[in-house]
Amino acid sequence: MEQKKRGFRFYADIYKKILIQDLKSKMSYRADFIISTFGMIMTNLAGFVTFLILFKNFPSINGWDYYHMLFLYGFSLVALTPVQCFFDNNWNLRFMVQSGDFIKYCFRPVNVFFYFMSEVFDVKGLGQLAFGVGTLCYAWYHIGIPVTVLTILKLILFLITASLFMIAIMNAAAATCFWITGSGYVMVIMFRFKDFAKYPASIFSGIFRVVFTFIIPIAFVAYYPSLVLLEPANVPLLSWLSPLIGLLFFYLSYKFWMLGVKKYDFTGS
Amino acid sequence: MGNEALVMENVCKDFKVLNRHEGLKGSIRDLFSRDYKTVSAVKDVSLTVEKGEIIGYLGPNGAGKSTTIKMMTGVLEPTSGKILVNGNVPYENRTENCENIGVVFGQRSQLWWSLPLVESFKLLRDLYMVPQKEYEQMLELYRSLVDIDPILNKPVRQMSLGQRTLSDILAAFLHNPAIVFLDEPTIGLDVSMKDKIRCLIRGLNQEKNTTVILTTHDMGDVDALCRRIVIIDKGQKIYDNDIDHLKNYFGSYRTLKLRLSDDTWEEMLIDESKTDVMDVIMKKQKEQKIKDIRLEEITTEEVIKKIYEGEAV
Repeated sequence: MEQKKRGFRFYADIYKKILIQDLKSKMSYRADFIISTFGMIMTNLAGFVTFLILFKNFPSINGWDYYHMLFLYGFSLVALTPVQCFFDNNWNLRFMVQSGDFIKYCFRPVNVFFYFMSEVFDVKGLGQLAFGVGTLCYAWYHIGIPVTVLTILKLILFLITASLFMIAIMNAAAATCFWITGSGYVMVIMFRFKDFAKYPASIFSGIFRVVFTFIIPIAFVAYYPSLVLLEPANVPLLSWLSPLIGLLFFYLSYKFWMLGVKKYDFTGS
Repeated sequence: MGNEALVMENVCKDFKVLNRHEGLKGSIRDLFSRDYKTVSAVKDVSLTVEKGEIIGYLGPNGAGKSTTIKMMTGVLEPTSGKILVNGNVPYENRTENCENIGVVFGQRSQLWWSLPLVESFKLLRDLYMVPQKEYEQMLELYRSLVDIDPILNKPVRQMSLGQRTLSDILAAFLHNPAIVFLDEPTIGLDVSMKDKIRCLIRGLNQEKNTTVILTTHDMGDVDALCRRIVIIDKGQKIYDNDIDHLKNYFGSYRTLKLRLSDDTWEEMLIDESKTDVMDVIMKKQKEQKIKDIRLEEITTEEVIKKIYEGEAV
C-alpha cells in the first residue's frame, strides 16, 4: 500500500477548509454570533474602564507611565487572541473526555491534537484582536517608537512568541483532565492568571516573580517580549530568549497533552 | 500477507483500578494511595478474520467487546499478545491503521455537527486523501444503495437518529477501508430504518468486499448480516463458529407459544430431548382453555441468551 504523506501543506489546507466551513455554519446562527460578539466587546470595554480608573489614581506603576502600561495592555490583548481563536476547544476537552466522546478524534489518520483543535474556531477573539491592535497603535504613537521594518518585524515575532506562552499554559491546564476530574478549576485559575499579564513583572517580587516566569510563564505573555520594543537600549536576556523558551513551553505542553491521550483509558462504551 | 484482514493472538488487556475506600478519611487516603488492583478486561483472546467477512462480535454488557474494538482500532495498547490489522500493528502505527479502517459508534456521531452532510464528506475526502474520481464513484454507489439525496444537504444536527446513523455508516466507508467496525449501529432505530441500515451494510460489504466487525445486542442484525459469530464473556472467547452450528447445537429446543383464554400469548422454551411438548400442552389445557398453539424453532436471541447464561457449547 502506498504511503500517503501528510506534511505542513496538507495540514494548512485541511485547517483552511474546516475553518471556512465552520465560519459558514456560524453565520447561520446569526443571533448567537451577534450576541457573543457584543459580549466580547463589553468584556473588553469593562476591562479597559477598570484599567483607566486604576490609572486615574496611580499615574505610574513601578516607573511605568500611562502609555507604557497601555502598550503592555494592548500587547497582551493581541497575544491572547490566538489562544482564544484557535485553541478554544481546550475548554470542551474535559467534557468530551468524561463522556467518552473524545474517542472519535482517534479514528482519523491525522494528528489528534490538530484534529481536536481544528474543530473550533472562536470568532469572539477577533473583537479582542481589533481592540488590542487599536490600543497598541495608540500607545505606540504616543511613546514615539520609530516605525521601521525592523521594529514591525520585532513586534510580530514577539507577539507570536507571547501568544505561544498562553497557548502552552492552556494546553497544559486542559490536559490535566486526562488525570483528574477537577480540571475545570485548573483551567479557570490559569485563565484568570492572564490578567497579571498586563502588568510589568517587575512589580512582583521574590517567589511570585520566579513562579510567573518559569512555572506559569505569565510574565512572558506581555512583559518580557514587549521590553524588546519598549526598552531597546536595555533588553534583558530573557526577552531575547523568549522565542526559544516559548517554543519549548509550547512543545512541552503539546507533549503533555498527547501523553494524556495515550494514558487515557477510554473507559465505557 | 495472506487473506486475513485481522489477526489477534493471545491478546490480553489489564486495567489498573484504584482500590477506593469509604468515607472522607478513605477519600483522603485514596489521594496518596498506591493500592491498585488489576482488572483483566480481555483474557487471552485469539481471532482471525478473513477479508470480506461480516462477523458478529457478541457478548453481554461489560464482557470486553468495547475494549477489544479499541485495541483493534489502535486507541488502546494490549497488555500482551499480538494484533495485526491489514498487516499493521494498530497501536504502533495509529495513523496508518486509521487509513484502512472505518469506525461507527451507534450513539456517537463523528461527523461535523453543524455541517451539511456533503461538506463533511468533502472534508473526509481531503483528510483521507481520496482521489476525486474514487470519491465520486463511491457517492454513485451510495446513491444506488440508499436514497441519499434528501439528506446530503442537511446539517447533521438537524437529522433524525436514523439519518444520522446512516450518514455515519456512509462516512465510515467513504475512504474504502479494508475493515469497518460497527458498534451497535441499529441501536434505538425503528424497524424500517433498521432494515435499511442492514441492507446498506450488506450492499457495501458485497460491492467493496469490506470486512465488517459488528457488535450488537440486536439479534435481528446478526440474522440479517452475519454467518459467523464470536461470543466473548468475562473477557474470554467462549464461542467462535457459524451461526447455524450454534442453532444445531440447540436443535432440540422449541419455542412453544400458547394463546390463552384471555388472548395473551404465553411463551416457553422446551428442550424436546427432555420434555415432551404434548405433555406440556395437555397439562396447560387442564388448567384453562387454549385458543391457539404455535411451535417454533429456537430463535437466535434465545440461543445467545442460553450461552450468556452459561450453557456450555
